[in-house]
Amino acid sequence: MRLTLPIVIAGLALAAPAGAQDTDPRLVVREVVRTATARAYQGRNAGQEQTERISRKLRVGRDGRVTIANISGEIAVTGGGGDEVSIEAVKRTRGDRSELANVEVVIEERAGRVEIRAEHTRFRDRRGRGDSASVDFTVTVPASASVDAHSVSGSVKVSGVRGSVRAESVSGNVTTTDTPNLELAKSVSGDVSLTGAAADGDLTAGSVSGDITAKGLKARGLDLNSVSGDVLLTDVACERLTVKSVSGNIEYTGTIVRTGRYEINTHSGDVRLTLSNPPGFELTANSFSGSVRSDLPLTIGGNSGDDRGRGRERHNMRATFGDGSATLSIRTFSGGIVIARR
Amino acid sequence: MTARQQRPTLPFPSKEATVSPEDLVAQCQAGNVDAFETLYHQHAARLYTLACRMAGSPEDGEDLLQEIFLQAYRKLGSFKGDAAIGTWLYRLALNHCLDYVRSRQAKMNKLTDTLDAETSIQPTARRETPIARLDLERAVERLPDGCREAFVLHDVEGFDHKEVGRLLGIAEGTSKSQVFKARMKLRALLGRA
Amino acid sequence: MHPTETAINDYVDGTSDPFERNAIDEHLAACAACRQLIEDLRELKSATATLELRPPPVRAWGRIERAIRLEQRDRPRAVFPSVKSLYWLGAAAAIVLAALIFPRFLPGRAPAGGDEPAEMSASARQAAEAIESELRLAESHYENAIKGLEAAAKSDQDALDPGTAATLQKNLAVIDQAISESRAAMRAQPTSEPAQQSLIENFKTKIALLQDTVALINEMRKGNEAGAARIVSGLKNKG
Repeated sequence: MRLTLPIVIAGLALAAPAGAQDTDPRLVVREVVRTATARAYQGRNAGQEQTERISRKLRVGRDGRVTIANISGEIAVTGGGGDEVSIEAVKRTRGDRSELANVEVVIEERAGRVEIRAEHTRFRDRRGRGDSASVDFTVTVPASASVDAHSVSGSVKVSGVRGSVRAESVSGNVTTTDTPNLELAKSVSGDVSLTGAAADGDLTAGSVSGDITAKGLKARGLDLNSVSGDVLLTDVACERLTVKSVSGNIEYTGTIVRTGRYEINTHSGDVRLTLSNPPGFELTANSFSGSVRSDLPLTIGGNSGDDRGRGRERHNMRATFGDGSATLSIRTFSGGIVIARR
Repeated sequence: MTARQQRPTLPFPSKEATVSPEDLVAQCQAGNVDAFETLYHQHAARLYTLACRMAGSPEDGEDLLQEIFLQAYRKLGSFKGDAAIGTWLYRLALNHCLDYVRSRQAKMNKLTDTLDAETSIQPTARRETPIARLDLERAVERLPDGCREAFVLHDVEGFDHKEVGRLLGIAEGTSKSQVFKARMKLRALLGRA
Repeated sequence: MHPTETAINDYVDGTSDPFERNAIDEHLAACAACRQLIEDLRELKSATATLELRPPPVRAWGRIERAIRLEQRDRPRAVFPSVKSLYWLGAAAAIVLAALIFPRFLPGRAPAGGDEPAEMSASARQAAEAIESELRLAESHYENAIKGLEAAAKSDQDALDPGTAATLQKNLAVIDQAISESRAAMRAQPTSEPAQQSLIENFKTKIALLQDTVALINEMRKGNEAGAARIVSGLKNKG
């Protein structure tokens, strides 16, 4: 059933959002969905969740852009057919039902663009006191649309979207599936999980304390960063790579290309590089106190410093495989480095 | 009050002021000596410190301080309130210090001191302890005229070289080389050469 | 060819143009004497920033007061022509250098809890000292940046929710642990390139995390929490 759009609400009581990224003068429709329930105290149902469901459908065009900004709550975006954006927003609270009014869903429709936001109308201090309301968004977009989804405290999931995708959370997991144009996937304290991700250009993924896990990852340039999390890449292919962690392990299982440049860096984590049918490469692997080992037949040459002969642990290795066209640079401080052959 | 850029001011000990700055100034302008004493206590440290460093000794600094505040008392009638009183006093003090330094240079009072300073800078064994504030303060005082003022204005008071040039009546390039000279001398005096 | 006085001054003051700065950087890479000089001048600048005000002698006011009363008696207040106030456009004293780092890197000082470095030949020791002083300079750059950022990050941690703040703190501690391991390694083996590299890398990582934290706090403070999630992506300086 197709819902008709309410009339534009002008002169909103809401202050203009401080962080509105752009003020497109061609704003066509702006809707603020307020909770219609009475504000009178209705008694606290301890532990029982109160919800309110909002549904909307908008046309955005096949190449439209959809932005979803949430503060407390989850976001799940799926690419579907057609040229419609279908929005399901569920407000939740464990407090009194009237608390649902503390968060408003704002939907702005512009030419070729839809912006969906949750705005909290009451001041929320850092403990989240002030209101206990959250919103979960479930959004379907045209498969070729672009999506920019971010939540402060809640997970973000994007699946089957072929346009450019940016997905971020501060304290939630970020999960993408089948996104051939993933630009960015980041979290601060959540995990980042990518399946079937690709990019024509550069792809950036990062977390501070979470792991970065990717299965099926293909891009021209990859920039992956964690501080205490692991970076585990399977079935990965790229031309340029920068992977860093401080205490996490790094695993790269996949292919490299001729003349590619690959840089892997961790302080106390281990590095495992498993290459299938690699082209020639030149390797520089250094560790202060970790061991360096290669299962590939390498021509070890140049300044090998601690070369103590076969069978003994070495801390650095400069070697060539094949025609030495790609460049691999692997550094750890105390972690071990293993170059394995698939 | 129009807005103007203010260099970060150092905190100075201030007597408990129970009147607003504007009222205090008005009282001073009316000849109230107690009010003027309050004003003195609010700003003396800042100006005394400047005077000592510019003049090169605490004795000269004290003399200068007295002259500065006397002149302030005389000129307060012309203070219009379009800058903070502290800024106005600072400017007055700075001018006074510059006059003093220029006239002293003319008298070449410090010739012998300058020679002493030169010969006493001997390369000592390099000391690795951090520079103590007092050592630095004393070392600044021992700088010869010319480079000392430039150093104080640039490195301590925070004027840029163009401003230092204007204040001291020298070229901007001269200010730079004077500051460099002062830094090198300080480096030697503090056992870093 | 050593840089000129002016060039060195500008370099220490941070007012060189990029071309000049690069030229000096290159020279410094090969010239220990100039490196030492630059370091000394920086230390001096930093010490100058710590100079304090001197209170005048107690007797000073009495003398001024006497002079004023004499003035009042001898010269009734005259009306002076108006004097235009001069406005200061003083350049900001761009001195934010942190505590001196000298004491930490005295050659020959045993690293805390570590092994004494093995006997070194005189030339090896010289090489080690040259490298140490070079690293000291690099470290002071980083430490300055870090201190500035730390202050900003600490000043308004309230803007972040406790969970996120705790995560960031915990991870800063992870990086600090890595930094101290790198430092210890460098003291034990000053010529080890992995040790040096790891120290620099860890500094960069710490700065990046602090920058992200500060940016996140700023966004939260502005009340734009949704924008904060965007921060996670953009503002980190690479490398």
